[in-house]
Amino acid sequence: MEWLMWFTKLENTKPLGLLIFFITFCAILFYVFGDRKRGERLEAHKNMPFQDD
Amino acid sequence: MASVAIGSSEQYNYDVVRKFTIMALIWGAVGMLVGVFIASELAWPFLNFDFPYITFGRIRPVHTGAVIFGFGGSALFATSYYVVQRTCQARLLSDGMAAFTFWGWQLIIVLAALGDVLGYSQGREYAEMEWPIDLLIAVVWVTYAIVYIGTIMKRKEPHIYVANWFYLAFILAVALLHIFNNLAIPVSLTKSYPLFSGAQDAMVQWWYGHNAVGFFLTAAFLGMMYYFVPKQAGRPIYSYRLSIVHFWALIFMYMWAGTHHLHWTAIPDWTSTLAATFSIMLLMPSWGGMINGIMTMSGAWDKLRTDPILRFLIVALSFYGMSTFEGPMMSLKDVNALSHYTDWTVGHVHSGALGFVAMISFGTIYHLIPRLWDTRMFSTKLITVHFWLATIGTLMYITAMWISGIMQGLMWRAYDDFGNLQYSFAESVAAMHPYYAMRALGGAVFLTGMILMLYNCFMTISQSKNVPAGGLATSAA
Amino acid sequence: MMDHSKIEKNLGLMLVMVLFAISIGGLIEVVPLFFIQGTVEDVKTAEGIKMVRPYSPLELRGRDIYIREGCYLCHSQMIRPFRDEAMRYGHYSLAAESQYDHPFQWGSKRTGPDLARVGKKYSNEWQVQHLTAPRSMVPESVMPNYPWLLANDLDYSDVGDRMAALRITGVPYSTNKAEYDRNVKDFGAEVAKQLHIPDAQKSLIEQAQTGNYDGNAANVSEMDAVVAYLQVLGTMVDFSKLDNDAFVKYR
Repeated sequence: MEWLMWFTKLENTKPLGLLIFFITFCAILFYVFGDRKRGERLEAHKNMPFQDD
Repeated sequence: MASVAIGSSEQYNYDVVRKFTIMALIWGAVGMLVGVFIASELAWPFLNFDFPYITFGRIRPVHTGAVIFGFGGSALFATSYYVVQRTCQARLLSDGMAAFTFWGWQLIIVLAALGDVLGYSQGREYAEMEWPIDLLIAVVWVTYAIVYIGTIMKRKEPHIYVANWFYLAFILAVALLHIFNNLAIPVSLTKSYPLFSGAQDAMVQWWYGHNAVGFFLTAAFLGMMYYFVPKQAGRPIYSYRLSIVHFWALIFMYMWAGTHHLHWTAIPDWTSTLAATFSIMLLMPSWGGMINGIMTMSGAWDKLRTDPILRFLIVALSFYGMSTFEGPMMSLKDVNALSHYTDWTVGHVHSGALGFVAMISFGTIYHLIPRLWDTRMFSTKLITVHFWLATIGTLMYITAMWISGIMQGLMWRAYDDFGNLQYSFAESVAAMHPYYAMRALGGAVFLTGMILMLYNCFMTISQSKNVPAGGLATSAA
Repeated sequence: MMDHSKIEKNLGLMLVMVLFAISIGGLIEVVPLFFIQGTVEDVKTAEGIKMVRPYSPLELRGRDIYIREGCYLCHSQMIRPFRDEAMRYGHYSLAAESQYDHPFQWGSKRTGPDLARVGKKYSNEWQVQHLTAPRSMVPESVMPNYPWLLANDLDYSDVGDRMAALRITGVPYSTNKAEYDRNVKDFGAEVAKQLHIPDAQKSLIEQAQTGNYDGNAANVSEMDAVVAYLQVLGTMVDFSKLDNDAFVKYR
């Protein structure tokens, strides 16, 4: 449990912030581009501006 | 008279869109004219004519107010009302409330300009308006939010199109920024003192100032891009998934970056570092938007050769990409040490404002006008001429400011052989003269294009047989 | 699993998410500054008198005119901690020095030089002549002439109201005996008199006449106020009495 103390130290906020943001970034990319079926569903709405003609 | 137009004028409220479009053109011309004048005052100070109401300090806010809130604001009202109706296939929530936002907003611009000229100023950049005008802005803005959100609630299709996300974020963020930046204790109708002071006030003001750029001048115009680039190109946006990622990243990160306007000042260092970090990261979502817009042309690049409107839109995105690279670079503390307080900042703002915001608005308005008045543009050739004037004017302007800005920064920190300062401040002012003249000329070129556009649009509207009820087209004569 | 399509279809959810995303940055960066003690330095003399004081009534009116004319659009009031700025303008600015500035006037552009420490650098006569006709003193200048400052009488009828409004924001102007006594303790008796709202007009006229900033003791002009303000800028903190490294811990 000693290693948990690392997170409480103020000077470690920079690497911690980097870690959190990078993981979030990868997760978002994986979510959006990782799955073909989900990708197709997300892309399905790109034709909306043309439905009004 | 085309039956389509009658049908759609019943289906949608185009009246308010037409009015805002016309006022965008007029405020654009007025604001840019004032801009050229104040640029000339800096090159030739006799132009102040010892007349209080036209001195640089008083009419610089007239320029910023007229171009940002008059021109940019009217263009955003017009396009957001147009886009939300067409993508939701629903008429605006309330014609009366929409008309109120139009007249209210125009009154605000006029009152703000009068206040600036008379010296009623809060002394906050881009928020000079005194508290009665601020209250009016709040009322109009809330009405705008209600109309906009209410219209989305009436939508036929469950899905909300991406352009509307950007407009929504813009409406919410501007409300938040406006309220907190303008908290003040009034003394009289024309004078108040802000609630905050010194370092805290500086943080609040630049949180506002930076995000006014981020949401008013960026997110909202990206909303414009997401509808009008695909429409004009006749092809869907390059990647809907990319727009999801860059939307959330952009609106999240912008709010952190404001403190880069306060590098090396009397604020805690960690805020400055945090802001610089987020500014660098902002490059990614910014370029996400640029790539998404430009790549929409992928496979149809030849259209750029024949369609000057599309050229406006795509060149606007290129300038957007350039200035969102320049911005993060200038937010690095070491670059900022040189660039801050100099004309480089002014040049950077204008590469975004002229290159991106104004150009994408021009393209969009050229797209809109024939559709709103059910006619064709009076002259395509004039659009092409306007395109070149706008591009050359912008390049002249930003080149002049790059040179003068970097020169200023270097002259201020130059030492002679004995370690003394090499130049007096006055010498650095004198060295700026040719570039200030060049900037004024670049602005004049850009303004000429704007006036051509005004003429072209006026001719288009007056030649259209389908004059809308209310007769704004004729009264604009 | 959370699906983005839900947000795309649910307006309420989207509004909440957007509000959340745009609030975080400001909350984390701006709000703490109101609570962290070190944001504004505590600058005192050895005797415990606060060096930075609120503006006197005349200086305050001068500052109002400075804002009215939009001086902040060309002049900064924030010296950065660089060698060249130290040589050109003086010691870097402290947050404490603008703690009573509603609004702050740090500026963002130096079309003209920084003014954070312009006080006492030039004589009153120089300032008056320079404000009236800048190019008669500095030929390269691009500053507008401000001849009307000398011609206009200063309107000081509402100076008390102005101080009262600032008092609400937290500036220690006094309205009663208890507050006055507190100011005597904090700033010394001379300064405390200037900060007393009931005597505002009297203090203003007195300072204009003794200072005689515009060279004409007969009236109180806008020039009196502006020059009084310019002459106090950056002069409140006496750095010779402070340890050079005293401020490093605040950064």
